[in-house]
Formats: sequence, C-alpha cells, structure tokens
Amino acid sequence: MRHGKLSSASPMALRRYGFILSFLAAPLVLYVVFVIAPYVQAFQIALTNWKGISPDFDYVGFENFGKMFADDVFWQAVRHHGLLLLVMPLATIAIALFFSFLLNIGGGQANGRRTGVRGAAFYKIVFFFPQVLAVAIVGVLFQAILRPDKTGVVNNALGAVGIDPVGWLINPDLALWTIMGVMVWQAVGFYVVLFSAGMSSIPSEVFEAAALDGAGRFTLFFKITLPLLWDTLQVGWVYLGIAAFDGFALVQVLSVDRGGPDNATTVLPLEIWRQAFTFSKYGYASAMGVALFFLTLTFAVLTLRVTRRERIEF
Amino acid sequence: MTNTPREITRRQMMHRLGLTALVAGPAAGLLSACATSGGGSTAEPTASAAGGAATSASNPFGVKADAPLEVVIFKGAYGDEYATKSHEPLYAKEFPKAKITHQGIQTIAQTLTPRFAGGDVPDVVNNSGTDNLDTGSLVAAGQLLDLTPLYEAPSIDDPSKKVKDTLVPGTIESGLVGDPAKPYLLNYVYTAYGLWYDAKLFEKEGWTPPKTFDEFKTLADKIKAKGIAPYAYAGKNASYYQYWMILISAAKIGGNQVLIDIDNLADGAWTNDAVKQAAAAWAEIGKYMDKSYEGLIHTEVQTQQNQGKVALYPSGSWLEPEQAKDTPAGFEYAMAPTPSVSASDAMPYEAIRAIAGEPYVLPAKGKNVNGGLEYMRVMLSKEAAKAFTEKTKSLTVVVGATEGLTLSPGTESVVAAQSAAGANVVTWSSFEQWYKELETELRKQTNALMFGRITADQFCANMQKAADKTKADSSVTKQKRTA
Amino acid sequence: MTRPPQRTGGRVGVFGALSHLALVVWAILVIFPIIWTFLGSFKTNTEIFGEHPLGLPATFHWDAWGRAWAKAHIGQYMVNTVIVVALSTFFTMLLSSMAAYVLARYRFFGSKVIYLLFVSGLSFPVFLALVPLFLTVKNLGLLGTHTGVVIVYVAYSLPFSVFFLTAFFKTLPTSVAEAAMMDGASHTRTFFQVMLPMAKPGLISITIFNILGQWNQYLLPIVLLPGNAEDKWLITQGIANISTNAGYEADWAGLFAALSMAIIPMLIVYIVFQRQIQSGLTAGALK
Repeated sequence: MRHGKLSSASPMALRRYGFILSFLAAPLVLYVVFVIAPYVQAFQIALTNWKGISPDFDYVGFENFGKMFADDVFWQAVRHHGLLLLVMPLATIAIALFFSFLLNIGGGQANGRRTGVRGAAFYKIVFFFPQVLAVAIVGVLFQAILRPDKTGVVNNALGAVGIDPVGWLINPDLALWTIMGVMVWQAVGFYVVLFSAGMSSIPSEVFEAAALDGAGRFTLFFKITLPLLWDTLQVGWVYLGIAAFDGFALVQVLSVDRGGPDNATTVLPLEIWRQAFTFSKYGYASAMGVALFFLTLTFAVLTLRVTRRERIEF
Repeated sequence: MTNTPREITRRQMMHRLGLTALVAGPAAGLLSACATSGGGSTAEPTASAAGGAATSASNPFGVKADAPLEVVIFKGAYGDEYATKSHEPLYAKEFPKAKITHQGIQTIAQTLTPRFAGGDVPDVVNNSGTDNLDTGSLVAAGQLLDLTPLYEAPSIDDPSKKVKDTLVPGTIESGLVGDPAKPYLLNYVYTAYGLWYDAKLFEKEGWTPPKTFDEFKTLADKIKAKGIAPYAYAGKNASYYQYWMILISAAKIGGNQVLIDIDNLADGAWTNDAVKQAAAAWAEIGKYMDKSYEGLIHTEVQTQQNQGKVALYPSGSWLEPEQAKDTPAGFEYAMAPTPSVSASDAMPYEAIRAIAGEPYVLPAKGKNVNGGLEYMRVMLSKEAAKAFTEKTKSLTVVVGATEGLTLSPGTESVVAAQSAAGANVVTWSSFEQWYKELETELRKQTNALMFGRITADQFCANMQKAADKTKADSSVTKQKRTA
Repeated sequence: MTRPPQRTGGRVGVFGALSHLALVVWAILVIFPIIWTFLGSFKTNTEIFGEHPLGLPATFHWDAWGRAWAKAHIGQYMVNTVIVVALSTFFTMLLSSMAAYVLARYRFFGSKVIYLLFVSGLSFPVFLALVPLFLTVKNLGLLGTHTGVVIVYVAYSLPFSVFFLTAFFKTLPTSVAEAAMMDGASHTRTFFQVMLPMAKPGLISITIFNILGQWNQYLLPIVLLPGNAEDKWLITQGIANISTNAGYEADWAGLFAALSMAIIPMLIVYIVFQRQIQSGLTAGALK
C-alpha cells in the first residue's frame, strides 16, 4: 500500500482508505476489464486494417478516418442522427409533458388538491406498456403494422376512409420519419410516468397560490410546472439524446434493405455493424465507432452545459 | 507470460491485443494467469492435432474416429432436416464414436464472425442466406480450407473414380476463390434461375411466358387487366433476386464475358452497352410493379404469388421447396428463361443460368478439418444427394443421384429448361462472394432502378463508381477469373 | 369533480374534450397493436395477408401457440432471461451503489477521475467494443454461459447506475451517517444499515431502469450466447430467431404467437407491480 501518499497515515485515515478501496475494487475491476479495455482496444483497432476474422492486421495510421470522411454514407448517417436528435426527443418530451400535465394537473381541483383528468390512473398504466416490450418485439410488430400495401394495418385503416396506401417505410422521404414515429411511440409512456412523478412532487400550495392569482391552465403549465420540472426534463433529454444515436434494432428490422431505400434511414450503428460483420472491415468499423463516441460525448457535454440552470428550490 | 526476444508474429500481436483487456488496469495480477492459459490454447491451429489416425481406402483423410464434428447449416429454403436426418447420420455411421454437434441458423455472419475472430470455428459451414460470411475476406485471411484433396479423393459410391469425376461439370470452377484461384467453396445444389409462374394459372388464362421484352410488356398489360400484378420481387430483403435477372439479361445480350468482366472489376464493365440495355429493359418492367413491393420480404411476395396475386416472380429453383407448405393444391410451379432483349442477342431465348449454388466451406482452423473433408465426401455420395433431393425437392451437383425419384413439377420444368438451353448456359457471378461491399451497393441501386428513382444510365454509372471504388480499395483482396 | 369557480365553462369544456380525445387516441395506439398481435396468432396466413388484416380470425385454434412453444422454446428462453436479469440486476445495484456511495461521499485522490471514467461509459456505443469484448469473455472461458452474460450486463449497467446513484447519494442528508459514525459504526456498517435504507427510493427506480434495459438487451446476448449455446438463449434472441424463421418458413401465426408469449407475461408483471414502478420513478424524479 502507498502509505506515504496518505496525508496522516493515522488509523482513522487507513480505515477510511481501506473502506474506499474495498467498495470501489469490485465495480472498478469489472468496469475496466469488460468496458474500458474493449473500448481502448477499439480505438487501437481503428488504426488498423483488421478484418475481424483472423489474427492478422497492419497498422494503417489514420487511413480509416480519411476514408470515413470521404464516405457519403457516413455523412448521411450523421445527418440522420442530427435529425433524430432534433426531432425525436422534442416530440417525445412534448407529447409526454402534455399527457402528464393532463393526467396530474389538468383535471382541476378536488378537495383543495390539483388532480388529473378522469381515468388518469388507467392511462398512466396503459401508456407505459410499450416500454416493457423488447425493442426486437416492437420491430417485428411494426413490420406487420406498417406493411406498404393494403394488408398493412395502418394502410388498411386508411383505406377504409378512402386514402391510398402510404409507403411508410419505402418512400425515401418518409421512411426515417416513420421510424422516428415508432421510437416516439415506444418512449412516450416512460416519460409520461417520469414527468408525472416530477409533477406530483410539486407542492400543491404552489398551484393553489397561482390559482388564487387567477392563473389559467396554460399559465400553470408554462409558468409553474415547466420550470419546476427542469431537472427531470434535462435527465429525459440526455437519455433520449443518447437513444437518438442508436436506433440500430428498429432500422435493421424495419427499413428496406437495412438502412434504405437509398440509405434514407441508415444510422451509424447499422453502418458499423455492416462494415464489421458483412464487409469484414473491422478497422474501418471501429473508426466509425470512434466517431460515434465523440458525437455522443459532444452531445452529452453540450446538453449538460447549455441546460445548466439555477435549481428552483421549494 | 514469457517473452522471448524473437520476432513477434502478427498472430501474437493480435493475441496480445485480445489480452490487453485482461492485462490493463488493476486486475492485471489477478487475471493474467488464467488469461494466458485460456488464450494460449485457442491461438494454436488444431488442424494437425486432430488428424492422428492413419489414412485408408475407406478413410482417405485419416479422420480420427472419436473426433467430434461441428456442423453449421443455413436453415433457409432447404431447411436443415437433410443434414440432421441424412448427412449427419451417414457420417455417424462411418464414425460411431464421433460426437456431432449440429446448428441450424439463419444469421451465419453474425453468429460466426466473432468465432472466426476468436479462432474457435465449427468444422463445416453452409455459408448461405442474406447474412452470409464474406468468403473473399475469409480466404484472404487464410481461414478456409482448400478443397482440392476432397475432389481428388476416391468417391464413396465407386472408389475407382475420384470425387471430382462424379459431379456436374462446372461445379468445382464455380467455387474457385482467391488469387491464385483454388476451390474453397463446395456449391452443392444444382440451381436454375429464371421467371417462376403458376403453370396451371397460365394454362387457364391462355398466357405463355414472354420470349421477348416486347411480349413481356404486352402480356403484362393483359395480366394487369385481370387485377393481378404481372411481375414482382421483394425489395426489402431480396433485391438480389432482381439483379440476377438484370445480370442474366446482360449476359444474354453480350455474352458471358460481360459477367466475367464485372467479376474482374474490368474498367467500364458496368457501363458496357449490354448492361445498359439489360437495365433499361428491366426498368420498363419495373413500371408495372406496385411501389409497395419495395417494402415486402421474399416470403411475403411468394405467398402473394401462391394466392394468385403475382404472375411472374424472379427466383432460383429453391423457390418450390421454400413455398411447399404454402403452395395450394392446383398450383404448379414452372420456370421460364428470362426474355430476350433484341434479335441480336449473343445467346438465344432458351439460355438460362443453371449452375452449382449453395456454398459449403470448411474453416481451415477447425478442430476436425479431416472430418470436415470426410463430411463433404459423404455429402457427395449418391445416397446423401438423393436424400437431399427427396427432402428439399432440389437437384444436387451429384450426377445420377435422382435415379428412382419422382420429381416435383418445378424440378421437372427445370430439367426441361436445362435440356432446351443445351450449351447456352449463363455463367455465375463471383463478385457476389468476392466483393460484398460492391454486392451491397448493387442491391441498393437495383431497388432505385426498378422503383423508378434512377435511370438505367445512372444505374450503370453508379455501379461503375462502386466497382472502381472496390478496385482502388487496397484493403480488399482482388481476385480474377478467366472463364 | 369540482371545478375552480373562476374558469368559464365553455373553455374548459372544449379543452377537456380535446384532451380526453388525445388520451383516448394514444391509449388505442398503444393497446391496439398488442391486441392485434394476439389475434394474429389465431389467423391463417391468408387472413394475415388478406384484404382485411383488421378482421377477426375465423377460428380460435391454439395450434400456432403449440408450434411456437415447442419449436421456438419461448418458455425456456423466458426462464433463462428471468434468471440472468434477476442476477445481473442484483449485482448491478450492489456494486453500483457501493461505488456511487464512495464517489458521492468521500473525497480522495482520483475520485473525480474514477467518477468521470464511469460516466463517460454512458456515451460509448456498444458496437465498438463487440469483438474485443467477445475475446475477453472467451479467454475467461465464459462464452456461452449465463455467468458471462451476467458479468457483462453488470459491467455495462454500471455507468448509468453509478451516474444516477452518485447524484442521489449527494442529495441525502449527511447528519444521520455522521451520527452513526460517531456511535462507532464502521464505514461499511454505516453504508449497509443507514445509507442504503435511506436511499431506497432511488435504488428502486434505478433497479427498474436496469431490469427494463437488461430485459430488452439484444446485441450483447447475440454475441455472448452464440448459436451453439441455443439452450441458453434469452428471449430477445428467441424472438429475433423466430422472426427470421418466419421469413423463411412463412409461419406468421407462429410468429405472432411467440410475440404474444413474450409480451403477455411482461404485461402481467408490469400491471402487478405498476404501483411500485411508478412510485419508484416518482422517488427518482424527486431528486
């Protein structure tokens, strides 16, 4: 042990360090061996032409990165993440906020407390359903629901009111939006419950005071609920943002030709998967992974910086 | 770990790369011991280790009697019953002490890539389906076994003959990979490609399969008037069924050299006039297709055909067995050649692509490579081939293995088409196996062409660009074929 | 229900009606696909692909369920998944709360670095690590074992859990722990007997996050439980497999039956425990 480093080496301090060590050792070892080390190796592999199917490889410097920056598909995927990042969290949070407001505050007052609309408990349970379905299940399910001809559930329903079948996943201008729709479908319920939790923790006196001042529902929502929920929103935003950098399972199952038509729905995880497991270009795939890593990291750091606010204490 | 100052081989380097996970961090002392032993055993090529037994006439590869054998079968159109009920039991009869592990899966590449990377590979792999392994890379990495000893070995049915003399001509050539090319793939199933239709429906309506693209369009109008889709393929996961048709048409127009040039990444191979004409002709047919077919998978479109909603469907001869369960009574599969584009085509209308398909490979670092070779020798016996045809309604490359079998209507029509074609056989395309990235691009461009987003000229230009990119890519091992 | 007196009836009425409509529509959007899946398991291929995909099946036969159960081993995969997720969630919570507590409450050389090391893991795409991870697990002889999956799940759940639990432990009052230490309790005892019970609300919500996340894992099991360990597969692998199978064998009813089998137990478990789940999240959101 590094006695010298400890400030006083007193029995108290030793016990303290012993405790710290004993608590951190197991999680840290596990984390470093199974998470950090593979990632570090991936950075190393990004500098090689390794094919992933044999032990042979050469170091090629930054060649993979050069190729990547000249690769149209890479930039297409990056643009899709940009769009996903812009639309998916925003739509999910907006819908979830709207519903949770209705379910917790929108119903008016009963016995001096703000309540949700009738049936709020039921809706809270039902809305969460998609969250308990594995994404593999959701993909397979929507594959049938979104089928492009009139045997698809959505198109059949549209047909009943005289609308021609819509190529949800085959129209290059529509496909990515459709997949985003499925992502939102699955995510909303979770955030309804999360925001409901945040809202129910706002003391009712706050609303009572506002109501006495004659505040309407919209004032209640924008002036009181939203600011008090800021921390929860921020957590939700980070979480959804990280999800926007994935999308692998849904795109793989739902899209035409995995990422098509014409790369209209491709995302980086899918390209990484394809480069590694279909084209056996593990070095190149790792370079894309490194790019994805920095994109996600940039997003997380920016979000935490930009949305940092004074906490509203109550 | 002992480090001798000798040269460090690449394998050792990679081995270390694999081990850094265990050596890095505070866990080093704790785990390095078991990591060393665990890693050491896997890096050792085991080809020679298992082949201890002596060779004999009945055991030409010297298979060790109790060496286990692991077989991975692509469970697609042919299922995997032919392996579990026939091929594997036949092998077990020769080596009763050998434990056979069987795996029937669809996602070959996803399942096996990490295993190749880790050096723990099965002994026999049926590398097929949408998610197949990139054979070109595997060969370049020395991961596959040269099958020459198999073809030079005595046949099971007649030891005076070599295995290579019991096969349909062209079988071995279709499995050549690498530079210099060696037979790494055993293409086991004799496959014919063309337009598939319900003979009974056509008979009832008085339709005949079109001989030219003009006839095709006239017929398509007639079929459309009946409320049936004249032609369809599944864009979501099987656009390669369509590019086969385009390639076959290109070969019919300009001769087999067109396809050989494409395989060899020859300059301007894709902008060749024959490819352009073929693409343009098929794009015209694409106009008859509903947009929704781009979003369907092959079994969905095939089910529609069984329901009488699709008239002509491009496919290979596995179609009939694949749909066996869903084919209604009174539906009779038949195959027609692709139509001629013009009277000046290099090959007549009757020409078809009928070649050995469905590749099987032997991983070079398998634990029982000799067993793998023997397994293939068993597959190429008449008994095994006959069982395959019985179970899958598909012909194998083994000559004379259908004696005494009643063939299904679809197989009958293939046999008829084959004899009509005579020597006019459209060659195979190796780039599909050699250059996976180019092949993926072709799938994408085919959908864009057939669903009207690009013109035939753009299609050729885009494909030429992709081929040039592959050619310039130093990380891709280039391969050549002469015939 | 009483309404605030200061509001005009008309505005509330329209708003109320519209908002109810929105809620009902969303509820249908959520419930309908699930019911449709269930009905699909009784249909024939023709009914599924016919002109009326919204129609009811002609007969209610359980054949497809039998096929899915026997061929797709859904029951076996479900049991496997329950075992794996139970173990890995338990160890995730144990190890992450230990690490989070130390990182939240003790200042020591490197604490900030270790914290950042954990948190940075949140932004790593798992794909990047796939093959090296495979080699590590293989070299430890844990490939194709549930032990390997549990260990990897725990390791990959740590960043998220440590991040949120550290924040949570920071918000807990320090006085109680200090009093316990004054009374001579060891650091370890203080943690297990004082701090953990106090952190219960936060622990519950992170537990729920982990159960959901690990139950839905798709990529890691594919790599860690390869095809030759089919008896050890998890539910998502089973679903993916039967989905690919349906593509080749056109057994759509069987696919829907398998989906139903995977969906229904999860829904039942959720409905039974929904109160705890919601209150767990409430507690989590408080902080």
